[in-house]
Amino acid sequence: MANTKCECGHQNHAGTVLCESCGKPLFDNDGTSPLEMRYDGVARRSQKANPTAIDRVWNFFSSVKVAIYLILATLVGAMLGTIYPQEDTFLNIDPAQYYKETYGWTGELYYRLGLSDTYGSWWFVTLLVMIGTSLVICSLDRVLPLYRALSKQQIRKHLSFIRRQRVVYSGALPAGTADEWMAAAAEKLKKQGYRVHTDGTALLAEKNRFSRWGPYINHIGLIIFLLAVLMRGLPGWKLDQYIGFLEGEPVPIPETNYYLKNEQFNVTFYSEDEMSESFRQKGQIVPKLYETRAVLYECVSDCANPDKEPQLKELTRQTITVNHPLNYKGLLAYQFDYAQTPKLISVSPKLRNKQTGQAFGPFTLKMKNPAGEYEAGPYKLKLKEYFPDFSLSDKGTPITVSNEPNAPAFVFSITGPDLPPEGIVYLYFPREIDKEKYRQDDINGAVAGGWDISVDSMDDVEIANFTSYLNIRKDKALPYIFTGAAIFLIGVVMGVYWQHRRIWLRIDDGDQLSLGAHTNKNWYGLRKEVAAMLQRTGIDVDPKQLANEVKQA
Amino acid sequence: MNTDSASGIFLLCAFILYTVSFFVFVIAVTGKKWSSRDPERHVRAWGRGGLIVTVLGFLCHLGYFFTRWAAAGHIPTSNMFEFLTFLAMMIVLAFIIVFLLYKTAVLGMFAMPVGVIILAYALVFPPDIQPLIPALQSYWLKIHVTTAAFGEAFFAVGFAAGLMYLIRVVDYNNASAAAMRERRGVEFVIFVVLLIVAFVLSVFLFRALGYEASFQQETTRIDQNGQAITETSTVDYVLPPIVKPFNSTTTTMKPFLGMTEPLFEAPPWMNGVNAGRKFNTLIWSIIAGLILYGLLRLILRKQIGAAIHPAVTGIDPEDLDEIGYRAIAIGFPIFTLGALIFAMIWAHEAWGRFWGWDPKEVWALITWLFYTAYLHFRLSRGWQGRKSAWMSVIGFVVVMFTLIGVNLIIAGLHSYAGV
Repeated sequence: MANTKCECGHQNHAGTVLCESCGKPLFDNDGTSPLEMRYDGVARRSQKANPTAIDRVWNFFSSVKVAIYLILATLVGAMLGTIYPQEDTFLNIDPAQYYKETYGWTGELYYRLGLSDTYGSWWFVTLLVMIGTSLVICSLDRVLPLYRALSKQQIRKHLSFIRRQRVVYSGALPAGTADEWMAAAAEKLKKQGYRVHTDGTALLAEKNRFSRWGPYINHIGLIIFLLAVLMRGLPGWKLDQYIGFLEGEPVPIPETNYYLKNEQFNVTFYSEDEMSESFRQKGQIVPKLYETRAVLYECVSDCANPDKEPQLKELTRQTITVNHPLNYKGLLAYQFDYAQTPKLISVSPKLRNKQTGQAFGPFTLKMKNPAGEYEAGPYKLKLKEYFPDFSLSDKGTPITVSNEPNAPAFVFSITGPDLPPEGIVYLYFPREIDKEKYRQDDINGAVAGGWDISVDSMDDVEIANFTSYLNIRKDKALPYIFTGAAIFLIGVVMGVYWQHRRIWLRIDDGDQLSLGAHTNKNWYGLRKEVAAMLQRTGIDVDPKQLANEVKQA
Repeated sequence: MNTDSASGIFLLCAFILYTVSFFVFVIAVTGKKWSSRDPERHVRAWGRGGLIVTVLGFLCHLGYFFTRWAAAGHIPTSNMFEFLTFLAMMIVLAFIIVFLLYKTAVLGMFAMPVGVIILAYALVFPPDIQPLIPALQSYWLKIHVTTAAFGEAFFAVGFAAGLMYLIRVVDYNNASAAAMRERRGVEFVIFVVLLIVAFVLSVFLFRALGYEASFQQETTRIDQNGQAITETSTVDYVLPPIVKPFNSTTTTMKPFLGMTEPLFEAPPWMNGVNAGRKFNTLIWSIIAGLILYGLLRLILRKQIGAAIHPAVTGIDPEDLDEIGYRAIAIGFPIFTLGALIFAMIWAHEAWGRFWGWDPKEVWALITWLFYTAYLHFRLSRGWQGRKSAWMSVIGFVVVMFTLIGVNLIIAGLHSYAGV
């Protein structure tokens, strides 16, 4: 094992570059080139002699070089993913076919290589996990020794430590005693914001040490961010559904107890006088607003019972626009898309006696889950059968082809005054077009001569014009993600906008001043500050002269 | 005069003042060898003059920005023209800040052209005020776009300093293979810059000549339900069509140098919006760029880098290295905040997810990863100076691709920011 004991008597850890106490270089002692000051030359765990298997893994991840290669590999991987659109850009495609058909053999190769799902691929996720590991290990490997080194700094440094800094000055003091000069220098440095420590004829001035912690703080932020991203994979942390909401109907939201109703959807376009002269001439139609008036309900009972209507309790009413989602206790609903889908919701017809011209009612008929009985004046209507999507089978019997009210047909049994006690049977098509097509009056036969069910006007017909597509989301990781991002940014700002500056000086032989200064960036600013201090204390020097002339090896 | 036309006049003033300030900085740097003057005082006086003209130009640019804001009723950063003029404004602001830190006149000689070229490039895009679509109706439009552009502006200054560093340190008297390669590299960067200048000039030229050609293009796209939809659209060309859009027929085409029909058709895999026209533009830029570069070489009779080299010989390369590093270090947190964090917050509000691997997002991440690598590389000694300067040059290419290339080549959610 190498002898790591310094001439000042301090016993250093193996791997130390600069003595932890006096700063004397332990290697390359006779050189004159500026010293490597990273992490103040302290030993790190990754520099252990005789590494074990765990040490080797640690050493691998603690290397900044490895970290950079991981970053660059991620960068290249991310680039590859933007060549063609990713699979999840499309809702309904068969990727095996799509890439080949759209982009030819290059598209097929892209798909075969798995690049059509780059960001979900095992190798990309592995890279991200490795970056996360590297972040943790790199930081731990450096922050602890650096903290130790910075918290117990020796004021008097070895001359070769001072002279081999990148900002140096040496020369005789101006007239006056060394003590007086030191006092003046200390005062000027304090004015410049330095903390000044003296030890006889040696001085250490330091400022903005906190900026050294910036990188570690930003790495903590990134780790929180990456962990939050990973946690989104846990069940219940994330909900992501695209659901179409037809106007007027509460729709259950899967995986939750909530129902959401689109009361009304509005889309408006910019009018011509809202456009500039030149833009108007292009004749483009530009949407101005997509808006869903939404009501959120919670199901309180009969939620899973198919025979009963679920009991809903209103929770909140909000207007959803792009950029302004509905937000209820972390459940978010975003305006995503819309479609014009004219559909019948309900009609409010009247029962009419054709002979007398009398009309009874109206009564309201819902197309979805209609009630079993209705009253129109003294008459009772009993719903015998309902065909939401009426059609005739091959044998000529009435059937429904779907549960959507595309061609609704109602079969009533009507009882009341002037009617036979067993009542009459009446088939009612609310849509005029179906009434013609299936010849309602012919089917009703003699009954049609005396009775009729119909609406007064279109005011009695409720039609849903739009289906609003909402993206329903829940993301419990969000607060952690933004906390991580905020911590990251604080760390970066600390590390970049402030610089840790240190000035060491000592006076030997009564009037020989040696000064060395170090910063982690902005040498220009440090030189200016040192020169200002020296000029103030009677030593005329240009900032540029302070740069250590010896070029880097 | 209404606010819309006032904004145009302000922008023109800014453009002229920026160009003037560039020449003032050139005189500040090259004029110090003139006889009968103290070089240091000359540089200081002309450098200050350059700064004053720059600040005046910046004030005009601000004038443009706010009058246009008033005319449009929304912040003018919502289409390519508006964004690029804003980016140019931010580049000038970033330059002013870095100049005040280091007081190096030579930086103006390199940073101002970057701002001027981007401003000129902006003028190629249609400058109409467009109504704001619902997705952009958010105060995050103001916050996200401005912060991101401001961060990127510092990267532009880092690019200027990096290029300057390279021209300073490249050895123009050495015949070794490594020096030759480096010279060619610098020359290539200069060529790319000239290519953009040539492109802007040719667009202005053909616009002034009133050239036009137009095509009917049939495109088939597959909608979300997997159904093919065929649409016909009109594609107008400003530059004479060498390439016509894929699957299109010529409606009108003025003959150009005896060329009455496009020479060939764009390949089908170019699937961005108006890909054919963009491909045509690229071909034209390369032709015009080669002509411009060739002319300059004929006049100078040496590599362009070699012609600029003497102007920067008096400057300490380590200072340039530090200016470049500092500019990028200042820009990095601002870029992170604007282009990633604010972007994530807005994406969360508008689209319900903070990250969706949309091409624009991915490229912002790539830019960020690139500058992260840059900052980490600087931790190791060997990556200061030359390598670092090359990285800052390449980094800005990545930035420009993210801002413009993604919109022109890859379609995605940010496609409304295109032409």
